[in-house]
Amino acid sequence: MPVSSEETIETILIVDDEESVRRTFREWLESSGIRCRIVTAEDAEHALREANRQPIDLAILDWNLGAGNDGLRLLEDLYVFHPDIVAILVTGFAHQATPLHAMRMGVRDYLDKNQDLDRESFLAAVRRQLERILPAKRERRLHATLAAFREAVEKILPLVQSAATLNEPVPLSEAIRGLLRFLVTAIGAQDAVLVVHRRDSKGDGYRAYDASGQRIETDLVSFAHSVAGAAISLGKPSVLDFRQPADGTVQWQSFEKGRQTVLAVPMAVSPEIQVVLEVFDKMPFTPDDQRLAGAGAALGIDLLRHALAERQTHQLLFTAVEGALQASDSITQALDPASGRRAAEPPADLVLKKLREGLAADKAAPLEADDTVRLAEAVRVLALGHGSMAVQHCIRFVEQLRELLDSVTGAGDSRT
Amino acid sequence: VSAPSPSHLDVFAKIQSLLTPEVLLGDPRATGEGIAVAVLDSGIEESLLQSKFRGRGQDILPIRGAIFEPDRTEPGPYDGRQSSPHGTTVADIILSLAPRVQLYSADIFGSAGSCEVDVLLRAMHHAVDVWKCKIVNLSLGIAEQRLQQVPRRYQFLRAVEEAYYKDVLVFAAADNDHPLTRSYPAVFAPPLFSVDKGEFGDALRFAYRLREQVEFQAQGRGYLGPFANEPATSWAAPHLAGIAARILSLHPDLKPFEMKTILYWLSKHA
Repeated sequence: MPVSSEETIETILIVDDEESVRRTFREWLESSGIRCRIVTAEDAEHALREANRQPIDLAILDWNLGAGNDGLRLLEDLYVFHPDIVAILVTGFAHQATPLHAMRMGVRDYLDKNQDLDRESFLAAVRRQLERILPAKRERRLHATLAAFREAVEKILPLVQSAATLNEPVPLSEAIRGLLRFLVTAIGAQDAVLVVHRRDSKGDGYRAYDASGQRIETDLVSFAHSVAGAAISLGKPSVLDFRQPADGTVQWQSFEKGRQTVLAVPMAVSPEIQVVLEVFDKMPFTPDDQRLAGAGAALGIDLLRHALAERQTHQLLFTAVEGALQASDSITQALDPASGRRAAEPPADLVLKKLREGLAADKAAPLEADDTVRLAEAVRVLALGHGSMAVQHCIRFVEQLRELLDSVTGAGDSRT
Repeated sequence: VSAPSPSHLDVFAKIQSLLTPEVLLGDPRATGEGIAVAVLDSGIEESLLQSKFRGRGQDILPIRGAIFEPDRTEPGPYDGRQSSPHGTTVADIILSLAPRVQLYSADIFGSAGSCEVDVLLRAMHHAVDVWKCKIVNLSLGIAEQRLQQVPRRYQFLRAVEEAYYKDVLVFAAADNDHPLTRSYPAVFAPPLFSVDKGEFGDALRFAYRLREQVEFQAQGRGYLGPFANEPATSWAAPHLAGIAARILSLHPDLKPFEMKTILYWLSKHA
């Protein structure tokens, strides 16, 4: 469940059957500078209604609520709603021994109505409890955020990574497909195939796609002996007559066999990626056809470069998100909430340390830990670009994680 | 100033009588024998060429060479294979005109079909200084906008000039299809042979057509390879390189300017 920014402000519930007491406590709190949300209730029923509506961090309860109700009983009910709640009981016998039962219910302090209950002692008690609950609350919030973040990323990441657009050598956008269809129609050809060759540090390979952008699932001849490879070397739209036998420098692809002629249009997209458009069977291809294909190739190069740059951004962002996911694992293990054990270091330091360790341990992550967190902001752009609600959801968590880390380090926390 | 004496005229007449296509190109010894030619291109499919020329009853010399790559300062060994058919088409044209040349394949393009200028320069230096080639064929072009850096452009010019000062003949495709864009190295025309494509019935025919970026024009169609029949300056440059190799096999010490003069003369008196 996402953590809203409002939850970073503590909520204090004041329960007292006397209106003047409630008003006084509220005025003391409001004039104290303590950043908190104040909720008041005159009896147990109203208090429970408020607790049902919102999380309560600190309850200031009158021991004697009248009508046979007492504050401790109310605290038991509030505990059902919020197991982490702590309470200050306002009693007339605070000097007496603290009941163990009350301690278990979360009573951490007592204020004696009959003795020294004034503004100063009241606010001191409130500040004391808030300071105690804040670290625990931050830790709980961190766990909740991390869990939500991980859940969202784990759902999104496989979907995005397995998307064909990330696995193909070159993402063929609808614009590219439209360009193919346009060229085939404008030239008056019968068909077209797009050959994509990629040579980088991972190796040398190429694929072929039909005019609709679907991959052609057949064995391809070696690129060194392909028409596409020859066209790339020639560097300009060129015509080949398939009715002549292949002479050994080339071999025909299965999708070229049975064709009569081809106009091969090379597109040097980048030093690593070359694309060749093979337009088939017009008798004959004219110089105008070649010029038109050349102009189309220039447009295609721009489109492909844009698509590649966009995908590179996507991959970078998701690599960063993966790194953050691994870091969240490290944090969760370090804090180990299941066993109830606490790490030796303060959570805030531990969180940052583990986050950096997690990111640094990911050799595939191209960015430093701090950069990765900042970069995650840009995931929002990805979400907008793709219009995917799921991705937007994921990005929101990433941003909230950053906000949380800011608050842990104090960068975004104005509380004194 | 005195008029030329009859004896001087005799000398020029004798030279003219020797500078004919029949004498220089029709000589049975004009085979390219003893001339090393570097093809800076996409590799050469050696077995294919051996087989083709053996079928014609011509034995060509084993092709030597190396592979030049951007991330390796030392060239890798040539494995007798092409990275794409372009280099094989170029080599076939040279061998068709001068079957006894010693070919060196400098594969600078790889399967990408292009390379950085650094790789090209390394291959040029290697061809001139290590392989001691007399002819370097560059069926390639670098558009002006891709060679904006003046130091890099100067470096390129310097490499061509160094070849010139070492009496190496550099043949470059004019790559002048685009009406506005200039192409390197063809624009360095004076120290090299910039060759445009033309339609000639005979592979040994060529023309002198001096204009910007272009000095000569040679046969623009090849004989082997998928796009060999497509007119291209890539195929014109090796035609003129092959013609030069034939002449060099008769007069191996000719300097670039001498070769240009002879080619000019031949084209005018063909």
